[in-house]
Amino acid sequence: MRTEYPVPLAPFGQQLHTYKDCTMAKIGVFICHCGENIGAKVDCTKLAAAMGEHPGVAVAVDYKYFCSDPGQESVKKAIRENNLTGVVIAACSPRMHEATFRKACAEAGLNPYMCEIANIREQCSWVHTDPEMATEKAADITRSMVEKVKRNNKLKSIEVPVTRRALVIGGGIAGIQAALDIANAGQEVVLVEREPTLGGHMAQLSETFPTLDCSQCIMTPRMVEAAQHPKIRLLTYAEVVGVDGYIGNFHVKVKMKARYVDTESCTGCGDCITKCPNKKNSSEFDCGLGKRTAIYTPFAQSVPNKPIIDKANCTYFKNGKCKVCQKVCELNSINFEMQDEFIDLEVGAIVVATGFQVQDNSVYGEYGYGKYKDVINGLQFERLASASGPTFGKILRPSDGKEPETVVFIQCAGSRDPSKGVRYCSKICCMYTAKHAMLYAHKVHGGKSNIFYMDIRAAGKGYDEFTRRAIEDDEASYLRGRVSKVWEENGKLMVRGVDTLLGKPVVIAADMVVLATAMVPQPDAKDFAKVVGIGYDEYGFFNEAHLKLRPVESSTAGIFLAGACQSPKDIPDSVAQASASASKVLALFSKEKLEREPVVATNNETTCAGCWGCVLACPYNAIEKKDILDRSGKVIKRVASVNPGLCQGCGTCVSFCRSNSLDLAGFTEQQIFAEVMGL
Amino acid sequence: MTIQEQYKTRVRELLSSGTVKMVIGYKAGTTADRRRPLFIRTPEEADQLLLDSACIANLSGYLIAEGLLSDEKRVGIFLKPDGIRTINILAAEAQLNIEQIIVLGFDITGQEVTALQGETAGDFSALIESIKEGAPEALKNPLIDQLEQLNPKERFAYWQAEFSRCIKCYACRQACPMCYCRRCIVDCNQPQWVNTSSHTLGNFEWNIVRAFHLSGRCVGCGNCDRACPVNIPLRLINARMAQEVLGSFDHLAGMSDTQEPVLASFKKDDSETFIL
Repeated sequence: MRTEYPVPLAPFGQQLHTYKDCTMAKIGVFICHCGENIGAKVDCTKLAAAMGEHPGVAVAVDYKYFCSDPGQESVKKAIRENNLTGVVIAACSPRMHEATFRKACAEAGLNPYMCEIANIREQCSWVHTDPEMATEKAADITRSMVEKVKRNNKLKSIEVPVTRRALVIGGGIAGIQAALDIANAGQEVVLVEREPTLGGHMAQLSETFPTLDCSQCIMTPRMVEAAQHPKIRLLTYAEVVGVDGYIGNFHVKVKMKARYVDTESCTGCGDCITKCPNKKNSSEFDCGLGKRTAIYTPFAQSVPNKPIIDKANCTYFKNGKCKVCQKVCELNSINFEMQDEFIDLEVGAIVVATGFQVQDNSVYGEYGYGKYKDVINGLQFERLASASGPTFGKILRPSDGKEPETVVFIQCAGSRDPSKGVRYCSKICCMYTAKHAMLYAHKVHGGKSNIFYMDIRAAGKGYDEFTRRAIEDDEASYLRGRVSKVWEENGKLMVRGVDTLLGKPVVIAADMVVLATAMVPQPDAKDFAKVVGIGYDEYGFFNEAHLKLRPVESSTAGIFLAGACQSPKDIPDSVAQASASASKVLALFSKEKLEREPVVATNNETTCAGCWGCVLACPYNAIEKKDILDRSGKVIKRVASVNPGLCQGCGTCVSFCRSNSLDLAGFTEQQIFAEVMGL
Repeated sequence: MTIQEQYKTRVRELLSSGTVKMVIGYKAGTTADRRRPLFIRTPEEADQLLLDSACIANLSGYLIAEGLLSDEKRVGIFLKPDGIRTINILAAEAQLNIEQIIVLGFDITGQEVTALQGETAGDFSALIESIKEGAPEALKNPLIDQLEQLNPKERFAYWQAEFSRCIKCYACRQACPMCYCRRCIVDCNQPQWVNTSSHTLGNFEWNIVRAFHLSGRCVGCGNCDRACPVNIPLRLINARMAQEVLGSFDHLAGMSDTQEPVLASFKKDDSETFIL
């Protein structure tokens, strides 16, 4: 509920640069014991008596818990009875209860910004042992805030409009889920996917743990639903290249990469794909195990089902001759002249769901990935096991197309390996390796699977039961230990490892080796984080605002995270986080206007020298150049002007300004100076 | 023809052709080794022009005198390389339009004065580049090194003694072409950040604020140093800050008229991760 402040308020920001008379101040000081938290170290009664002596203080009282209902009531009562002009609550951090007490002040008829918090808990009682000195310090802190509040201005909250349209970046399962949830609540969504089709990694998977339902069968309906949704605008083969603005009002630039196929007229008949003579390009969707034409759709159920031309491999683009696709296209949809286009979007919230990549296994020379064709990674095995894959779901080894009789799965090929891989656990590999062993057992009867593992991490609903099934029903043989080397001998892949439970080295002659590769951030994740303006960790996973309490919000207001771009996640977790992000977006969109604290900078145009240092220093582009004109319209001088809608109140400009022309409402020079002198 | 005569001819040409409305140069001062600024408006006035090794003052501060450039007419000015860097900074900080300035460049080595080829500030970019290359060496000063050897307490004592002479006349500010604010922070008395009295605190506050305001902007022209009536070695502070800025940010003041101020700009590829 929006707080209606009953006090008539002066226009914001007018009186900042003038001297504020505070001789008539009547300040109330309310000293909270916070039970024993403050009371045990700070002598609150003594503190109240000392504050009562301070010039300008009309009331100084202490109480067990001012944040309690009776506590707040006593503050309100004191404001009304003494006509207080300002309030200092000496208590916990303003992070805790500033809002509570501002609201209480407003309810008692005092401007909420005439309330200040003196933090005598986190910054005093909790960190000091000597009660006498702690009391002295608490008095200093409180006095300094009394001096500040005397100079506070009656500020008015700023209202900023909210553009009720969300941008979802990434069209994998997380992005699709977030987009659908927001759209189903009636709000507009723009869904941007950089690949030619929606689907992400989930579309590549064969069957999903722990229920073994076909991934594409559950994924494609979602893709179609997103594409057909009247509230979702789908932009595929598009990349977000710029984000400006702030919560409720982001300006986004999207690059629409040239497809060379006009998606408006193309019906997706596929004639161009059938006729394209350039058929030997490695298929990204099949992880290099299959081939595709130069004009292609990544897979049969691509959404949208409109092909693109792979410019790097197209015969026409390489040699200037061919154009077979253009000739066979009856609708004239092929356009070799097509250029990248840029579109600008106005959105109020952003969900980042840019997903992950699998680690490049060639760092493990000892496993022979890249050297031996039959050493593949987990995602490649998914394609082999998938009905839409290069082998139509048959497990055939890439080298000669034979069914492998023995398969070795190596878990943690990259995860939990600080020396070559990544330090974290990729979370999904234990489960998908068990699934691989099961699928292999189901598809190749009599096949023998051996799994080298460090620990089986199967926490989740139905997960441990699933791995037990792999072991008990499908006879996967789990060997606890690491693999030291894979080499080829007589057409077999020899895998040397150790079984630490038996305490013996083992050598297994296998037909195929599958590496449970680590999940890593997208290779350009750090750069992308800079484009969007969010934080990232040492690996490049995007940072949440608070690991436990705000796990789906980024540190930038209005930008939310979903899926494996934040940390390795399986499908249920990704979907859950996407829905959580969507609910955050919808909460934001539930209001027409956002109320913001009026802590913004203002500029004294009389003294501004127009050096534009502040314009450069401002990280939010909130400062503009403004012309001061005379009556005839001639420019007399140019000064800086702060846009309060964009200003985030960080104060960078204030500290930069050499002539002290810039000042920050709520933290004016006079307030800060008084605060310092009050110590 | 001496360089002085060459330049006199050049000034007369500039004025009679109407290329510039005024040329700012040097004339004789009260003593033999002092020079005064000369504002030449007619070709005849060029007769008073002097150009010799005593012409060391940086004249560029006169360019931003209220109203001088507001008619968008050109002005010629005698500048040494530090002066050229100064007008680059003034242009970068939007205090003047660099295209309005015709530079009459010269340099002094020992007693010898040499002419610098070029007409606009941009023509001297190669020269300024070479100054930057030599800057780490040029900014070295035996007294700075000596002060660096001291411990903070001794250093504080040194500056306290130096600043104790300060009478807060603000001559350093008036002489400095970088001090163009309409209202200086010392003149701001609500609140009075900088104490105006001449005691230790006020003197430190003023000189430290000024050093900070000149970091990444001072070209080391020495105007402040020469203007100081009590001979405080102000140039040392500014040179030390220039060393710091050059070392930390690879920034030398006044490289071009589009150079971003070092303390107001940041790069997205900064090594600090908190910069998003």
